[in-house]
Amino acid sequence: VAKTSLTSPPWPEVKLPDPAEEAKYHAEVVQKVKELIAAGRYGRLFAVVHFASKQWKITSEDLIMMDNVLEAECGDRIRMEKVLLVGADDFTLIGRPLLGKDLVRVEATVIEKTESWPKLNVRFWKRHNYERRKIITNPQTVLRINTIEIFPCLS
Amino acid sequence: MVLLSARCWLRSRLTDRFWRVQEVLKYARHFRGRKNRCYKLAVRSVRRALVKSTKARREKKRFLRGLWVTRIEAASLEHGLKYPSFISNLLKSQVELNRKMIADLAIYEPKTFKSLAALAQRRRQEGFLAALGDGKEPEGIFSRIVRHY
Repeated sequence: VAKTSLTSPPWPEVKLPDPAEEAKYHAEVVQKVKELIAAGRYGRLFAVVHFASKQWKITSEDLIMMDNVLEAECGDRIRMEKVLLVGADDFTLIGRPLLGKDLVRVEATVIEKTESWPKLNVRFWKRHNYERRKIITNPQTVLRINTIEIFPCLS
Repeated sequence: MVLLSARCWLRSRLTDRFWRVQEVLKYARHFRGRKNRCYKLAVRSVRRALVKSTKARREKKRFLRGLWVTRIEAASLEHGLKYPSFISNLLKSQVELNRKMIADLAIYEPKTFKSLAALAQRRRQEGFLAALGDGKEPEGIFSRIVRHY
């Protein structure tokens, strides 16, 4: 059959590496990372956590302020379970979409529960004698991230 | 005797006009020109400023998302990927990081961003191979080139 503009796809031809060799390479990498984690040879860990319908990039000794109420008293220790990503200097563990609870542990303490500064909400239409003023104070919670720990149970 | 009407000297006079005026002027102290001193001009400016700030609080979310998208696009072009393919391939590989996080990672964790770009590239290539299928032509169809004379 003669070659037309539609015989070959518009993207350049792609060749994936051999699946058996790839599986070996993957197993080696996983083993190395497991050894690093078990030996504890990582510096400061950072994690991406899904909390209060937002994603936060946190490290240890970090302060986080949420714009809502948390049903926990001041001084309570909290474990954050929805961890999307954990990383150190040499390796990162990317969750699809979440990492297992037996792999990462993120602990935080509730420090402060306050209200935000009074924000003025003003609606005004000119020439219509319409002006509405409202003061909004959102409740806020401040958390301190105590520790991020990883355990060597990769597969 | 019963007083049926109030005396002339007992009028209700405004005593805290100063503080009422200061409540408005305190929001105008950093403005430019006479509107940071004169009440009549300041009232209009402060009202406009507060209305603009209420509307801007809703626009800020849209603006920041556009900023994150720009940053992710720049960072992924450094690694040879375009933004739409980067984001779509990340979502197809079930990585649910939002744009704020990916932009922060691109700024502060370049190695992690590089690994995410490699993941998206690999998923893209797998997608191309899956789209090609077997490479055989469907049965019962023949292809020929029509020549018009």
